[in-house]
Amino acid sequence: MHRTVPSLPLAPSVKVKLINAGFQVASDLTDMRPLQLCKEAGISQEEAVEVLQMLRDDGQPHQQRAATESLTALDLLHQEQALGSIVTFCSALDNALGGGVPVGKTTEICGAPGVGKTQLCMQLAVDVQIPVCFGGLGGKALYIDTEGSFLVQRVVDMADAAVQHCTLLAEDTEQRQALEELTVEKILSNLFLVRCHDYVELLAEVYLLPDFISEHPEVRLVVIDSIAFPFRHDFEDLSQRTRLLNGLAQQLIQLATQHSLAVVLTNQMTTRVSNGQSKLVPALGESWGHAATQRLILHWEGLRRLASLYKSPSQMEATIQYQITVQGFRDAPEEPRPTSSSSAVSSPSENHSKRPRMEDLS
Amino acid sequence: MEWEQLDLNPRIIAAVKKANFRSAKEILCVSGPDLQRLTRLSKTDVQRLHCSVAAVVRESKPVTALQLIRGECPVLEAGHRLSCACPVLDGLMRGGLPMLGITELAGESAAGKTQFCLQLCLSVQYPQEHGGLNSGAVYICTEDSFPIKRLRQLITQQPQLRPDLPPALIRSRRFSDNIYIEHAADLEALQACVSQRVPVLLKRGLVRLLVVDSVAALFRSEFQADEAVQRSRHLLAFSNILHRLSHEYGAPVVCVNQVTDVVDGPNPGRCDYGLVGSKVLPALGIAWANQVMVRLMLRRLPGQVQSDSRSSATRKLEVVFAPHLPRASCLCGVWEEGVRGIPDDHSDLQPQGSS
Repeated sequence: MHRTVPSLPLAPSVKVKLINAGFQVASDLTDMRPLQLCKEAGISQEEAVEVLQMLRDDGQPHQQRAATESLTALDLLHQEQALGSIVTFCSALDNALGGGVPVGKTTEICGAPGVGKTQLCMQLAVDVQIPVCFGGLGGKALYIDTEGSFLVQRVVDMADAAVQHCTLLAEDTEQRQALEELTVEKILSNLFLVRCHDYVELLAEVYLLPDFISEHPEVRLVVIDSIAFPFRHDFEDLSQRTRLLNGLAQQLIQLATQHSLAVVLTNQMTTRVSNGQSKLVPALGESWGHAATQRLILHWEGLRRLASLYKSPSQMEATIQYQITVQGFRDAPEEPRPTSSSSAVSSPSENHSKRPRMEDLS
Repeated sequence: MEWEQLDLNPRIIAAVKKANFRSAKEILCVSGPDLQRLTRLSKTDVQRLHCSVAAVVRESKPVTALQLIRGECPVLEAGHRLSCACPVLDGLMRGGLPMLGITELAGESAAGKTQFCLQLCLSVQYPQEHGGLNSGAVYICTEDSFPIKRLRQLITQQPQLRPDLPPALIRSRRFSDNIYIEHAADLEALQACVSQRVPVLLKRGLVRLLVVDSVAALFRSEFQADEAVQRSRHLLAFSNILHRLSHEYGAPVVCVNQVTDVVDGPNPGRCDYGLVGSKVLPALGIAWANQVMVRLMLRRLPGQVQSDSRSSATRKLEVVFAPHLPRASCLCGVWEEGVRGIPDDHSDLQPQGSS
């Protein structure tokens, strides 16, 4: 073992004492007994026992871990495809997202009040529970509500509509069997709610998430609605806010990757004035823009509700239309459009891609 | 904070005390590596410390939505709403005002907002089975003085408004005794009222409805056009107090808001909330809108509505946004006994240009 002492996971003061006593590499420590180490390095007996214990645990699996740590890109691709995604029941949005809200990543949903962020979150919390044979994940959801806008009456509407939707789709026996277990009560019982009243409670909740997920390994979705609300007042020192938000973002992405779940955060909009013009931008500052893997901005355009995929590592930027019905988050109704005889690639692609199509330019 | 109550190795507790940490908040606001540096503890120790402090801060474990709907967690989900004292309006709101959160009522002057609020102050005093909360209301006036004559008229006309209630019940209520009126002439007075006097009334259970009529008046008058940032900050602080009070005591908060004119056309820098073609929008901008859970707008329409051969100017009560309500509206009128909705099958199909 050629691991150097400074790289070991020990308390800094212990490491300093070991280095001063002359231990440079981990192999120097392996043959020591606790009392010996205690006297030579000047650390307490407890600390010596801890150091040797840690080395013993570290030793064996370390070599094994080193061998499996490198993965090929093909392995990663398979892993990612196996993770799946959560459908939103709005097919246009699912297509734009590449199947749905991806598992293993953090997605941020920004929008003005009333545009549908909470509706989308509630819809995802219901949709994550769709059984695997219907194309869903069959998982549970944890909803962290900081605004108090989670009203269970609405979730009942959505759960009911989801069950009906699956009933219409059921074809083979496996699906019909799964449908028997899929009731509104079952969906409600798999949706956990926590209410956080300020940012300290939110921070506490995120620290406790790993334990919660270990107790409930079927959880596939964590929603924080909204992450902006508790952080937008009370902060004299904005740099502390940035630090806390960055810490939160890191913890959440770690959670998403380690436990294979989707993390969805909602953010508010604020006005920014530049060059005498004001526009609506996502709240929480510029540095927060880098926090989430994907960013979806919901906005109004007249009477239409549009969702723009603003930032994504794997998908193209796109804007699609959606609507909120009694059943929940759905596709916008088809508008009758006049068919144009000029271009062969007409209606479906108009909404999806902002990139100019090369064929049209010829 | 008593560190001994944490289920941790005494060594960790000693390190925390030595590093001068006083409260759970301080521990949670410091990141893992920073905490390691300050307390000289190892990474696993710091993780354990964070987890046990977090467990103390978090009051209750996650509950399932099924438990909520079954009424097993009344703190999180009360299971009932505050009735608007009219079955048509209650139908629009799916039961009435939600217990937790701020409900905003925006509209032009003389639209009927104060009438609606007075009606709620009476409705809250009935027992729960009749849509009330068996408690009183605090009415904070910032614009005009409290319309005491109108309140007296509404009280005498309660039997007409609520024919569904037994007359003995209505007679037994001492309505005026349970409405606490506050006047706030400036922002300082408003802050003092909401942070000191109102919590006392809520704590004693004397009131379970808070009405602020109106929010816009003081915030628009005390801040100049270029002081938008300060206004936002004060507005956020104020709404935060209301939000906390609402959640702590399970009391609905109703805020009356004014409207601003829309002079230019659709502006991408301003959120219209989908109110296309409307000549007015609720005031105080998006900073305030972010704090509101249910937004209602009350407009006056041309024409009259009839009820028992009495007529009133037509009003339209519209749900602009709410987590549990669709965009819908209904016509209503203001009569002697109060605000009543007009049952109409086509209440949400409005002729164009009526607003």
